[in-house]
Amino acid sequence: MEGFSDKRVVRNVARTCLTFLLMILMAALNRTNAYSEDGDSALGKKIYEERCQICHGTNGDGKGLVGIIKKSEKSGRVLDVRPRDFTTGVFRFRSTPTGCLPSELDLMRLVDVGITKSFMPPHKDELSMDEKKAVVAYIKTFSERWKDEEPCDPIAVNKPGWVGSRTSVEKGLKIYKDMKCWECHGDDGKGKGPKSNEIKDDWGNAIPPFNFTTGALKRGTTPEDVYITFTAGLDGTGMPSYEDSLDEENRWHLVSYTLKLMGAVK
Amino acid sequence: MQSRFYLSLLLISSLVLLTFVAIATYSALTPEWKQYQTEYKDFLIKNAKDEATRERAEKIDIGIQQIYLTSMKKADRCTSCHRGVENPLMANAEQPHRQHSGNYLENHPVAKFGCTICHRGQGQAMNLREAHGEEHTHWDFPIMPIKYIQSSCALCHDFEMLKHEGGGHVAKGEEFFRGKGCRGCHKLNGVGGDLGKALDGIGSRARAYFPMKHVVGDRTIYNWVKQHFDDPRQIVPESEMRAFLTGEESDLLTTYVLTFTSEQMPRNYMLIKNIVMPRTDGESLYKMYCIACHSDGKASIYDEILKRTIPAIMNPSFLKAIDDNYLKKILKEGRQGTQMTAWKVDAAGLTEQEIDRIIEYIAKDRPAAKTEPFDVAKFKADVKRGEELFNIRCALCHGKKGEGDLGLNLKNPVVQAADPAFLAVTVRDGRAGTPMPPFGKDGVGLIEQDIADIVSYVKTLSQKKL
Repeated sequence: MEGFSDKRVVRNVARTCLTFLLMILMAALNRTNAYSEDGDSALGKKIYEERCQICHGTNGDGKGLVGIIKKSEKSGRVLDVRPRDFTTGVFRFRSTPTGCLPSELDLMRLVDVGITKSFMPPHKDELSMDEKKAVVAYIKTFSERWKDEEPCDPIAVNKPGWVGSRTSVEKGLKIYKDMKCWECHGDDGKGKGPKSNEIKDDWGNAIPPFNFTTGALKRGTTPEDVYITFTAGLDGTGMPSYEDSLDEENRWHLVSYTLKLMGAVK
Repeated sequence: MQSRFYLSLLLISSLVLLTFVAIATYSALTPEWKQYQTEYKDFLIKNAKDEATRERAEKIDIGIQQIYLTSMKKADRCTSCHRGVENPLMANAEQPHRQHSGNYLENHPVAKFGCTICHRGQGQAMNLREAHGEEHTHWDFPIMPIKYIQSSCALCHDFEMLKHEGGGHVAKGEEFFRGKGCRGCHKLNGVGGDLGKALDGIGSRARAYFPMKHVVGDRTIYNWVKQHFDDPRQIVPESEMRAFLTGEESDLLTTYVLTFTSEQMPRNYMLIKNIVMPRTDGESLYKMYCIACHSDGKASIYDEILKRTIPAIMNPSFLKAIDDNYLKKILKEGRQGTQMTAWKVDAAGLTEQEIDRIIEYIAKDRPAAKTEPFDVAKFKADVKRGEELFNIRCALCHGKKGEGDLGLNLKNPVVQAADPAFLAVTVRDGRAGTPMPPFGKDGVGLIEQDIADIVSYVKTLSQKKL
């Protein structure tokens, strides 16, 4: 009697163990599967709905429940901060040339560090790498562009040593005048140029030019960040790319002058 | 040989000394004022129309002029240079000879009022540099720029009178001050917020009181006040002052603010024509104490200076959710951890009655419809689950520990003491017109149990350390 019961116990334990192992195996399989196709977007969708949808909207059109956030700058200027509309596939903060889709890394970086000054929070500590990849993949489903186009190569950034030097700043000032940067950004760089009130973004909303004296760019404040902005433009806004109209050296001179306006160099 | 050397040394030094004595004597005998008075006298003699006037002009004594104001123990010697100040012949002359502009001297004869009561400067000084007391003379009250001069009128007169009788600027400045919410942050006569410095006596404070480092031009209190109004952070980099004024507006306010002096004029100088009672209706009080931050109260705006969202306190959805008692509690106790001041009588100094009037004004457009109640007691709240939900759903705006950023600071005592049902309703319905979205079935789609869990967690936030 005892032996029989022992055997049954052993068999039960073995069965349980086996089932458990099988479950783990299945789960693992499911997980590997997830990265090839469907499961991926399920995770991405879940993350998106929990964390992004509230601002960016169910359809990714930037019309979430939070809506437009009003922000008053230190100068008293009040701005409307609108969440990105993913349906057009147009992004400002790219490392790729104007008109191109951003790279995977660009989007991952935005999810990671957020966008200071526009309420896009950082998710570095909130999401795992897999979750971030999944949500980026999900965001790409909102626009057909991601199916039709291939991302371009990122812009090469090689900062010359003289950026920020006095002569470079002076040359930059001349370019600032010649290229009519002041028409929007103003002579003093405070974003109050004569055309500053006329600018509309791709969605038809007024978009005021950046006030350099606030010192903090949304993309980031290193000379390299400024250089990329001049080279790639900010697609969807009034800020064009100067890749064709200024050669590399002159773009770096303009960076020098911008850094001066931002108070980063003397 | 040696004696000759010393002899020549003695000779040279005596010569040098003699030269100095000569220079000193010369400059003592020909002071600035003497030169000006001679010019003035010559001018009068030259332009005399008849013999009698010429004779009178020739009789003018050249000497130090002094007006002594007994009741104030003030001695003004300004007329030593400005001798033509009461002479209509000098209407178009160059300074210092020009006649005083306007008809101000008709009612303010120089002999009774002197000059420095209105114009400031150093009355006893005998040369231009020291008398006008501008930069580097270490005189705290240099001569007042003409565009702010009307601030002196308010030493003796009421604003109602000034409005109609030649004090338009300062009267306008006063009106402006009442409408810009300055006292939301600054105390005056003991009433007002405490985010900024008290304004009492600011117009008669010593120069050393003001941080002059970033002032452009002469480091006078006039320039400080004016430039600080133009761009507060240019003058005090860490300033939180919300002043966005045009150049003209800041001139008017500067003129008015300079009237806050600790000096009391003697009775015989005062002329108050109208006793104007301070306005105590809700709207005036709102403008005086609230408007600098909350503006018209209709839009919720994130402010980069205060680094938080300034709530729209006259927004219908806010008023719908909040009753007068809760409003009163917020007004009286403020919101600790934010810039919202406690307005009760022993803090910022508003009386119960004044607070009630402000509330009446804020709540005047409260919608009649009531919110659908939320029966929190029905749910067995799970704080742990609430925390998980909070971290995903709420922390983005309200901060990981509820410290607030775009969203409200949830740690502050007023929120912590609020009725859980009220918090639940807010989470469920959101606040239309603000970034706070509805999280209930009409919005994000959380079920009531989720909301109850979140609220139970929010209630524990006061224990979280930053």
